[in-house]
Amino acid sequence: MNICDFMQINVHVVKPETQIKDAAHLMHDHHIGVLPVMKNGQLVGMITDRDICCKVVATGQDATQITVEEVMTKDITTCFTGQSITDVAYLMASHQIRRMAVMDANNKLAGILSVDDIAHKSHDLASIILEASAVPKH
Amino acid sequence: MRVSELMSKNVETISPEKNIRQASRWMRDHNIGSLPVISDGKLVGMITDRDISCFAVAMGHNPETTLIKNIMSVDVVTCYDDDDITHAAYLMEQRHIRRLAVVDHNSKVIGLLSVTDLARRSHKLSGKVLEAADAIH
Repeated sequence: MNICDFMQINVHVVKPETQIKDAAHLMHDHHIGVLPVMKNGQLVGMITDRDICCKVVATGQDATQITVEEVMTKDITTCFTGQSITDVAYLMASHQIRRMAVMDANNKLAGILSVDDIAHKSHDLASIILEASAVPKH
Repeated sequence: MRVSELMSKNVETISPEKNIRQASRWMRDHNIGSLPVISDGKLVGMITDRDISCFAVAMGHNPETTLIKNIMSVDVVTCYDDDDITHAAYLMEQRHIRRLAVVDHNSKVIGLLSVTDLARRSHKLSGKVLEAADAIH
Protein backbone atom coordinates (compact mmCIF):
# COMPACT_ATOMS: atom_id res chain seq x y z
CA MET A 1 0.00 0.00 0.00
CA ASN A 2 1.45 3.34 -1.05
CA ILE A 3 1.49 6.22 1.39
CA CYS A 4 0.39 8.72 -1.29
CA ASP A 5 -3.13 7.36 -1.03
CA PHE A 6 -3.72 8.54 2.51
CA MET A 7 -1.13 11.18 3.47
CA GLN A 8 -2.25 14.78 3.98
CA ILE A 9 -1.58 16.71 0.80
CA ASN A 10 -2.99 20.12 1.68
CA VAL A 11 -0.08 21.13 3.86
CA HIS A 12 0.30 24.56 5.42
CA VAL A 13 3.90 25.76 5.49
CA VAL A 14 5.88 28.65 6.96
CA LYS A 15 9.10 30.44 6.09
CA PRO A 16 12.21 30.53 8.28
CA GLU A 17 11.62 34.23 8.93
CA THR A 18 7.99 33.76 9.99
CA GLN A 19 7.36 35.13 13.48
CA ILE A 20 6.63 32.49 16.13
CA LYS A 21 3.36 34.14 17.04
CA ASP A 22 2.19 33.87 13.43
CA ALA A 23 3.19 30.21 13.26
CA ALA A 24 1.20 29.55 16.45
CA HIS A 25 -1.77 31.34 14.91
CA LEU A 26 -1.58 29.16 11.81
CA MET A 27 -1.48 26.02 13.97
CA HIS A 28 -4.48 27.24 15.91
CA ASP A 29 -6.56 28.27 12.91
CA HIS A 30 -5.94 25.11 10.91
CA HIS A 31 -5.93 22.69 13.81
CA ILE A 32 -2.44 21.40 13.10
CA GLY A 33 0.50 20.60 15.32
CA VAL A 34 3.36 20.73 12.86
CA LEU A 35 4.42 23.08 10.07
CA PRO A 36 7.06 22.32 7.45
CA VAL A 37 9.47 25.22 7.01
CA MET A 38 10.18 26.08 3.36
CA LYS A 39 12.93 28.23 1.88
CA ASN A 40 13.08 28.75 -1.90
CA GLY A 41 10.90 25.71 -2.42
CA GLN A 42 13.07 23.45 -0.28
CA LEU A 43 12.16 21.88 3.03
CA VAL A 44 14.61 23.23 5.60
CA GLY A 45 12.95 22.25 8.88
CA MET A 46 9.83 21.50 10.86
CA ILE A 47 8.27 23.33 13.79
CA THR A 48 5.73 21.87 16.22
CA ASP A 49 3.34 23.24 18.82
CA ARG A 50 5.57 21.61 21.44
CA ASP A 51 8.63 23.48 20.12
CA ILE A 52 6.80 26.74 20.72
CA CYS A 53 5.86 25.73 24.26
CA CYS A 54 9.26 24.36 25.28
CA LYS A 55 11.70 26.49 23.31
CA VAL A 56 9.93 29.86 23.33
CA VAL A 57 7.51 30.17 26.24
CA ALA A 58 9.58 28.08 28.67
CA THR A 59 12.76 29.99 27.92
CA GLY A 60 11.14 33.36 28.50
CA GLN A 61 11.44 34.59 24.94
CA ASP A 62 8.98 36.93 23.26
CA ALA A 63 7.00 35.14 20.54
CA THR A 64 6.80 38.34 18.52
CA GLN A 65 10.57 38.81 18.57
CA ILE A 66 11.87 35.46 17.39
CA THR A 67 11.44 33.59 14.17
CA VAL A 68 10.67 30.03 13.21
CA GLU A 69 14.27 29.52 12.10
CA GLU A 70 15.49 29.95 15.68
CA VAL A 71 13.44 27.10 17.15
CA MET A 72 12.65 24.73 14.27
CA THR A 73 14.17 21.27 14.05
CA LYS A 74 16.59 21.28 11.14
CA ASP A 75 17.70 17.68 11.18
CA ILE A 76 14.47 16.07 10.05
CA THR A 77 13.73 12.60 8.84
CA THR A 78 11.72 12.37 5.64
CA CYS A 79 10.27 9.58 3.53
CA PHE A 80 9.37 9.28 -0.13
CA THR A 81 6.09 8.96 -1.98
CA GLY A 82 6.94 5.53 -3.34
CA GLN A 83 7.56 3.94 0.04
CA SER A 84 5.19 1.41 1.54
CA ILE A 85 3.20 2.08 4.67
CA THR A 86 5.15 -0.64 6.47
CA ASP A 87 8.52 0.90 5.61
CA VAL A 88 7.43 4.33 6.76
CA ALA A 89 5.84 3.04 9.96
CA TYR A 90 9.06 1.30 10.96
CA LEU A 91 11.03 4.42 10.02
CA MET A 92 8.82 6.51 12.32
CA ALA A 93 9.17 3.94 15.09
CA SER A 94 12.95 3.84 14.80
CA HIS A 95 13.15 7.63 14.97
CA GLN A 96 10.48 7.83 17.68
CA ILE A 97 8.38 10.32 15.75
CA ARG A 98 4.69 10.42 14.94
CA ARG A 99 4.66 12.61 11.85
CA MET A 100 6.85 12.69 8.81
CA ALA A 101 7.30 14.90 5.75
CA VAL A 102 6.79 13.00 2.49
CA MET A 103 8.97 14.03 -0.46
CA ASP A 104 8.36 13.40 -4.15
CA ALA A 105 10.87 12.12 -6.72
CA ASN A 106 12.21 15.65 -7.20
CA ASN A 107 12.79 16.02 -3.46
CA LYS A 108 9.90 18.47 -3.13
CA LEU A 109 7.45 18.32 -0.24
CA ALA A 110 4.46 16.22 -1.30
CA GLY A 111 2.62 15.81 1.98
CA ILE A 112 2.67 14.92 5.66
CA LEU A 113 1.99 11.48 7.04
CA SER A 114 0.98 11.01 10.67
CA VAL A 115 0.46 8.04 12.93
CA ASP A 116 -3.26 8.88 12.79
CA ASP A 117 -3.24 8.48 9.00
CA ILE A 118 -1.54 5.13 9.42
CA ALA A 119 -4.13 4.04 12.00
CA HIS A 120 -6.81 4.31 9.35
CA LYS A 121 -4.99 1.60 7.39
CA SER A 122 -3.36 -0.52 10.07
CA HIS A 123 -3.96 -0.55 13.81
CA ASP A 124 -0.87 -2.71 14.30
CA LEU A 125 1.55 -0.42 12.45
CA ALA A 126 0.18 2.69 14.15
CA SER A 127 0.46 1.03 17.55
CA ILE A 128 4.04 -0.04 16.90
CA ILE A 129 4.88 3.63 16.34
CA LEU A 130 3.17 4.60 19.60
CA GLU A 131 4.96 1.88 21.54
CA ALA A 132 8.33 2.98 20.17
CA SER A 133 7.89 6.52 21.49
CA ALA A 134 10.29 6.31 24.39
CA VAL A 135 9.37 9.69 25.79
CA PRO A 136 6.06 9.46 27.60
CA LYS A 137 4.20 12.52 26.41
CA HIS A 138 0.98 11.76 28.25
CA MET B 1 -7.65 -5.57 32.23
CA ARG B 2 -8.08 -2.67 34.63
CA VAL B 3 -6.97 0.89 33.87
CA SER B 4 -4.72 0.85 36.96
CA GLU B 5 -2.52 -1.82 35.38
CA LEU B 6 -1.71 0.31 32.29
CA MET B 7 -1.87 3.94 33.42
CA SER B 8 1.16 6.07 34.24
CA LYS B 9 1.11 6.53 37.98
CA ASN B 10 3.56 9.18 39.08
CA VAL B 11 1.63 12.03 37.57
CA GLU B 12 2.94 15.56 37.68
CA THR B 13 0.21 18.09 38.46
CA ILE B 14 0.04 21.87 38.70
CA SER B 15 -1.97 24.56 40.46
CA PRO B 16 -4.43 26.74 38.48
CA GLU B 17 -2.82 29.83 40.03
CA LYS B 18 0.56 29.26 38.34
CA ASN B 19 1.28 31.18 35.16
CA ILE B 20 1.72 29.57 31.78
CA ARG B 21 5.46 30.21 31.73
CA GLN B 22 5.73 28.01 34.82
CA ALA B 23 3.53 25.37 33.18
CA SER B 24 5.67 25.35 30.03
CA ARG B 25 8.85 24.90 32.09
CA TRP B 26 7.28 22.07 34.03
CA MET B 27 6.31 20.33 30.79
CA ARG B 28 9.74 20.81 29.27
CA ASP B 29 11.67 19.68 32.34
CA HIS B 30 9.50 16.61 32.94
CA ASN B 31 9.15 15.73 29.27
CA ILE B 32 5.38 15.73 29.31
CA GLY B 33 2.73 17.25 27.10
CA SER B 34 -0.15 17.58 29.50
CA LEU B 35 -0.69 18.42 33.15
CA PRO B 36 -3.75 17.80 35.29
CA VAL B 37 -4.62 21.01 37.15
CA ILE B 38 -5.38 20.42 40.81
CA SER B 39 -6.93 22.78 43.35
CA ASP B 40 -7.57 21.70 46.97
CA GLY B 41 -6.88 18.12 45.99
CA LYS B 42 -9.50 18.11 43.23
CA LEU B 43 -9.09 17.95 39.48
CA VAL B 44 -10.25 21.28 38.03
CA GLY B 45 -8.78 21.16 34.55
CA MET B 46 -6.09 20.01 32.18
CA ILE B 47 -3.46 22.02 30.32
CA THR B 48 -1.37 20.87 27.37
CA ASP B 49 1.68 22.13 25.49
CA ARG B 50 -0.68 22.79 22.61
CA ASP B 51 -2.94 24.98 24.78
CA ILE B 52 0.09 27.11 25.58
CA SER B 53 1.34 27.48 22.01
CA CYS B 54 -1.90 27.58 20.09
CA PHE B 55 -3.99 29.64 22.46
CA ALA B 56 -1.74 31.70 24.67
CA VAL B 57 1.02 32.42 22.14
CA ALA B 58 -1.29 32.67 19.14
CA MET B 59 -3.57 35.12 20.93
CA GLY B 60 -0.68 37.21 22.23
CA HIS B 61 -1.26 36.54 25.93
CA ASN B 62 1.61 37.42 28.25
CA PRO B 63 3.03 34.13 29.66
CA GLU B 64 3.92 35.80 32.97
CA THR B 65 0.51 37.26 33.68
CA THR B 66 -1.72 34.65 32.05
CA LEU B 67 -2.66 32.04 34.62
CA ILE B 68 -3.27 28.39 33.92
CA LYS B 69 -6.87 28.74 35.07
CA ASN B 70 -7.45 31.24 32.25
CA ILE B 71 -6.60 28.87 29.43
CA MET B 72 -6.95 25.30 30.78
CA SER B 73 -9.65 22.94 29.55
CA VAL B 74 -12.22 22.56 32.29
CA ASP B 75 -14.20 19.78 30.65
CA VAL B 76 -11.80 16.96 31.54
CA VAL B 77 -12.80 13.42 30.70
CA THR B 78 -11.95 10.98 33.49
CA CYS B 79 -12.21 7.28 34.16
CA TYR B 80 -11.82 5.22 37.33
CA ASP B 81 -8.72 3.20 38.08
CA ASP B 82 -10.84 0.05 38.36
CA ASP B 83 -12.62 0.60 35.00
CA ASP B 84 -11.86 -1.91 32.28
CA ILE B 85 -9.50 -0.59 29.60
CA THR B 86 -12.11 -1.26 26.89
CA HIS B 87 -14.38 1.23 28.64
CA ALA B 88 -11.55 3.76 28.86
CA ALA B 89 -10.80 3.29 25.15
CA TYR B 90 -14.48 3.73 24.37
CA LEU B 91 -14.51 7.04 26.27
CA MET B 92 -11.48 8.28 24.31
CA GLU B 93 -13.09 7.26 21.03
CA GLN B 94 -16.40 8.90 21.84
CA ARG B 95 -14.78 12.15 22.94
CA HIS B 96 -12.14 12.14 20.17
CA ILE B 97 -9.26 12.43 22.64
CA ARG B 98 -5.98 10.62 23.28
CA ARG B 99 -5.74 10.56 27.05
CA LEU B 100 -7.84 10.39 30.18
CA ALA B 101 -7.24 11.50 33.73
CA VAL B 102 -7.65 8.52 36.04
CA VAL B 103 -9.34 9.12 39.40
CA ASP B 104 -10.08 6.91 42.38
CA HIS B 105 -13.52 6.76 43.98
CA ASN B 106 -12.63 9.75 46.17
CA SER B 107 -12.16 11.85 43.00
CA LYS B 108 -8.42 12.03 43.57
CA VAL B 109 -6.25 11.99 40.43
CA ILE B 110 -4.00 8.94 40.62
CA GLY B 111 -2.91 8.49 37.02
CA LEU B 112 -3.15 9.27 33.33
CA LEU B 113 -4.07 6.80 30.64
CA SER B 114 -2.95 7.59 27.10
CA VAL B 115 -3.46 5.95 23.73
CA THR B 116 0.21 4.96 23.96
CA ASP B 117 -0.49 3.07 27.18
CA LEU B 118 -3.33 1.27 25.41
CA ALA B 119 -0.99 0.29 22.57
CA ARG B 120 1.12 -1.72 24.99
CA ARG B 121 -1.83 -3.98 25.65
CA SER B 122 -4.08 -3.86 22.58
CA HIS B 123 -3.29 -2.56 19.11
CA LYS B 124 -6.95 -2.82 18.26
CA LEU B 125 -8.00 -0.47 21.07
CA SER B 126 -5.21 2.05 20.44
CA GLY B 127 -5.80 1.94 16.69
CA LYS B 128 -9.48 2.70 17.10
CA VAL B 129 -8.73 5.61 19.44
CA LEU B 130 -6.28 7.10 16.93
CA GLU B 131 -8.78 6.74 14.10
CA ALA B 132 -11.41 8.59 16.12
CA ALA B 133 -9.05 11.26 17.51
CA ASP B 134 -9.33 14.85 16.39
CA ALA B 135 -6.84 15.26 13.60
CA ILE B 136 -3.84 17.31 14.65
CA HIS B 137 -1.18 16.75 12.07
